[in-house]
This record gives sequence, C-alpha cells and structure tokens, in this order.
Amino acid sequence: MTGAQPSTLPDWLRHQARHRPHALALRHKRLGAWHALSWREVAAAVEQLAAGLAQRGFAAGDALLLVSQPREQALLLSLAAQWSGGVAIPLDPQLGDAALRAALTHLAPRFVLAEDDRQVDRLLAQEQALQVIDANPRHLTPHPHPAVIDYRALALASREGFAPAALPHGDAFAFVRLNDDGHLVEQRLTHATLVREARHLVDSEKLHANDEAFAARAFAAASQARYLIAPWVLSGFRLNFPESLATRDNDRRELAPTLVAGTRDTYARVAQLVDDRLPGERSWRRRLIDRALRGQRGPFGPLIRTLTWWLITRPLRDVIGFSRTHAALVIGPPLDAKTAALFDALRVPVRAWPDHSDWQRVEQRAQPETPQRHAADRASEQPAY
Amino acid sequence: MTRSTHALLSLDHISLSFKGVKAITDISFNVQAGEICALIGPNGAGKSSLLNVINGVYRPQRGSVRFDGNAYRRMNPYHAAHSGIARTFQNIALFRRMSVLDNVLTGRNLHRRSTWLEQTLRVGRARGDETAQRRYAEVVIDALDLQRFRHTAVGTLPYGVQKRVELARALAAEPRLLLLDEPMAGMNADEKRAMAGYVLDANRQFGVTVVLIEHDIGVVMDLSDHVVVLDYGKKIADGAPADIRGNPDVLAAYLGTRH
Repeated sequence: MTGAQPSTLPDWLRHQARHRPHALALRHKRLGAWHALSWREVAAAVEQLAAGLAQRGFAAGDALLLVSQPREQALLLSLAAQWSGGVAIPLDPQLGDAALRAALTHLAPRFVLAEDDRQVDRLLAQEQALQVIDANPRHLTPHPHPAVIDYRALALASREGFAPAALPHGDAFAFVRLNDDGHLVEQRLTHATLVREARHLVDSEKLHANDEAFAARAFAAASQARYLIAPWVLSGFRLNFPESLATRDNDRRELAPTLVAGTRDTYARVAQLVDDRLPGERSWRRRLIDRALRGQRGPFGPLIRTLTWWLITRPLRDVIGFSRTHAALVIGPPLDAKTAALFDALRVPVRAWPDHSDWQRVEQRAQPETPQRHAADRASEQPAY
Repeated sequence: MTRSTHALLSLDHISLSFKGVKAITDISFNVQAGEICALIGPNGAGKSSLLNVINGVYRPQRGSVRFDGNAYRRMNPYHAAHSGIARTFQNIALFRRMSVLDNVLTGRNLHRRSTWLEQTLRVGRARGDETAQRRYAEVVIDALDLQRFRHTAVGTLPYGVQKRVELARALAAEPRLLLLDEPMAGMNADEKRAMAGYVLDANRQFGVTVVLIEHDIGVVMDLSDHVVVLDYGKKIADGAPADIRGNPDVLAAYLGTRH
C-alpha cells in the first residue's frame, strides 16, 4: 500500500491493522461471554479466509452468498470475499424456500455461508451442487454432507501473504429482492461508493476510533453495509455483535454503545422497553414521571431537571443501553411522534439518515448457469427488528 | 448423523408385569448407534414402561437390556445415567424456581470432577470445573436457542420453552442415548416442527442416539429412522417408517379394528 488513502474496504482493513494493530476491532458474544479481536487479528483472519476461498476456486468477480444473522463469521467471510475481488451478498435466513430457490437460481454463488445445520439442509435441498460453508458456531459435529465445508477448515495460513484483489469500482456488497410486481431487482454497492459515504458519515457524526458500535440489525440490509461496516473500517471504532437477535437488547445494555444505527422500528421497540419499565399509564407515579420528563420551568426548574436526570432519565438510559450514545441514527423514515418525544426526553438526539437505494431490474434467467446469476426476494432487504 | 452398523441398545425378550397386569410381553428390538427410533402405539401400549425399563426405573421379570455391549438384568437409574443414558419426562420435571442456566447445569453434575468441599470453598479443581461445566451448558443453550431465557426462572416460561429446557438439561449430560417421553405433547403444529428440528440437531450435532415416544404419526414418520409399534404390551411392527406406514397390523391397532 502506498501513502495514498485506501480506496477499498480490504485496504482500509489493512490500514487499520498496520496503524492500530492491538486496538480492539471486533467483539462478539458467544456462549454467554464476550470475545474480542484486534485489528491485526481481524486482518489476519480475513486474509487466511481469502486464501482458503481462493484455494477452493473463488476468484475476482465471484459471488459469496451469506445466509446468516449478524455474526462475526459472516462479516469476516464477507471481507474475505471482497479481499479476493468478489462480492458479498447477504440474504435473510428467514427467506421462504421458494424465494431462496429463486435467489440461488439467479445468483449462482461460488460459495454460500450457512449459519447452522438447518440452513445447510435448506440450501442443499434447493441445489445439491452448492458449495456450502457451515459456520458451525458451536464447534459441534460438522455437517455430514461431503459438499459442506467447515468454516474452521477454510482459513489457510499463507506464508507469502495474500494481497487484496479488490478494486475501487468493483462491487463490495449486493442486495437483492423481488419488486412489488414480482420482478427481480438488485442493488450493488461498490467499494468507492461505500468509502465515500462512510467518510461523509464519519465526518458528520464525528465518529472516532474510541466509539463502540452495535450491529443489532439483520445482516442482509444495505444500510448495515453503509452505516456500520464501511464506517467501521474507515474510522476504526469497535464493532460489536450480539449473541443473537433475540438477546440484542440485553447485549446492548451490557455494552452501552456510543453509536447506534437503527430504523424507526428499532427505536419503537426500544421505546417499548422503556414503557415496560415504567408504572402504568394511568397511575399517579407515571403522570409524575411524564411531567418531569417534559421539563420544568420556573424558579425550581433547574433543581427539578437535575433530580429528573439522576432519578429517572439516567436509569432509563441505562436500561435501554443508551447511557453513552452520542450518535443515534435512524436510517430511512424518521421516528414516529411518540418515540421521538421519548428519546428527546431521554436527551438522546436521534438524527435521520437516508436509506436511499438504486434498485436495478435484473433480467431473469430460466436456467442456472455458471458462474454469475442474480436475484432474490423482497424479504432479503427486510431487517429483523 | 452418520449411522453406525452396531446396535447401541438391544432389548432381548423383555417382559414386565405389575401385580398380574402384563405391561410388556416378550419385546425384543435393536436401536442402532446414531439413529432416531420412535416408539409408537395407542395409550396403554407399554411405551413409557419400556423407557423406564431401559433406564433402570423398572426391572423386568424376564429378558435383558444390552447397552453399548454390556448386558444388564438389573440396571438402576444412577448407573444408567453414568453409562450415558438420559431422559426427559411426559410431564415437565424441572426446578421451576431455578433459572434455565441452573437447570441445564444440573445436567452436568455427573461430569463434575471437584468434590463438594472444593465447590463450597471454591478451591482446587472447583474453578476450572465450574468454567468447563458452564461452557458445555452454554453450548447446549445456544444449540436450543435458549439464550434469551438464560437467566429466567423456568416456572415463568411458556410450556413449549419448558419442554425445550428439559431437552437441554438431558443433552447437557452428554448422553449417548437420549430417551424422550412425548417431547411434543401439548404443542401446536409450529411448536412441534420446531421441537422436531431441535431433536434432529441433537441427534446430528451432539451425536446422540434417540429413542422417543410420540403420538403424532406425521412427526414420527418425518423424524425417525426406525419405528417400533407396540400394542397391549406387545411389539406388532418394527422397521423403517415407509414399511410401518402400510403395515396392516399397525393400521388395525390405530383404527381399532383388531380388538
């Protein structure tokens, strides 16, 4: 790499590994405990995975499909595919069988990452010739099918080093769905686009290396790539993955991230958590709390505001894991009035960022062919809130 | 999981009576290592009694049980557990006031290496032991998607989740043979489908051989490698699901035309 600014995600990853090798890059919760990887470890893992993919025939322009919830293996393997000049295509694991079949037919991925045995079975039932990578997150007995590769066996230590093959105008991520009229559309995000947008976000939101971000949305969402993954490699903050989507609220409370990026539904769900912790809406205690949260004027205003902060606002921010948040972003449509009022009262300013997308219609192909096909399902873009 | 060609469990001419009432009459069959074997039959056919014979709760008057090459005329539940046999019950038998994690950890008791004194004083092997047991319990909790309920008291959980916790506790014992007594009783179709998935996961990922009792024939046919049909304490059929489906004796027993 020269002294010029990196222009692809893998180059930014190497940049972070070179300049901040021991800083924490990635944390994930597994089996009830948090595990951390430094930038050097992340870069080494991605390089080894890229070498393993290349040894099995993955080349520039190939597609890697990821049928997974947000988990560190999906992220590392996405970066490994991009390292090799390929494109990562996350798909929602909740996708129906018919939609999954359509996606496989048109995308013709070189490899598919499946998060567990059930997804492996589903994928193989659709297409026996698939090469499936089993994430095998619990390190139990690997899937018995001969075409299934254990994720742990994929990493290949390369003595000479495996140089990134990604190009700035090459596709980094792709997302696919069925349009309302049943036609297939896709959205491709190049490295250059992601880097440019991430730089804008980092500057606007003043993100820095000491920030903590929390990846609690579906992995198969374009905004996850735009507002979390690309800014992560650019600014070098810590990215945290929850144990599962079902435990994300507890996990966020444990971490208290400084950067939260969600949709209006994410924030509505968090607002419901607050509501659940407060006394019933008609009780006198609730009315008192609501009145205090609305703010007080007059001679006792400052005193009441101080008491409200210490007795109500601060504990509630702790409960929802927003105690340290300085960048709360809502992607797409803004918050509804009730949720916005709540976050305002909790003194958490939520700023809206667009979820602009450029969906292109894809010509559907009747027969699968190698190596490149396209497609998917509308659910692929729907995050699990 | 990969099927083995050797029988992990063999029942040889088992007969069991309760004060003159014949619960089981001369039943023999084999369960291959790695398979899922379903015991089916009408109520009172002797299915639960047979499970109780396998794990030593009942002692048969005749016949023997061979588990992993060792023949037993008399096996008590303690030895059965030590030999690698775990079970769940028709009615939920959990510690209702304890958390899911603590319930699952009780399944690890046989694998603890530290003494009660070391555990009380937290000295010697206790710390490493606790870490190892907790880690395995967490693997099971993760496999059965119970993470969000980890610290929740079991008594407050929905019925379907409690059944899953019971399966988790049995799996935590690292059994080689898992006996499941109606694991899907009282569940709706979606819950049954999910539970069947967890049983398959247990069979494949944990490498455990499963003998289960289930009334839902659809579930049995989809889930099992091998089906044994009992009626009035006797075995009336034994074979692959496809063979059992058209067996006239089985149809007669289920439709009530034979008695």
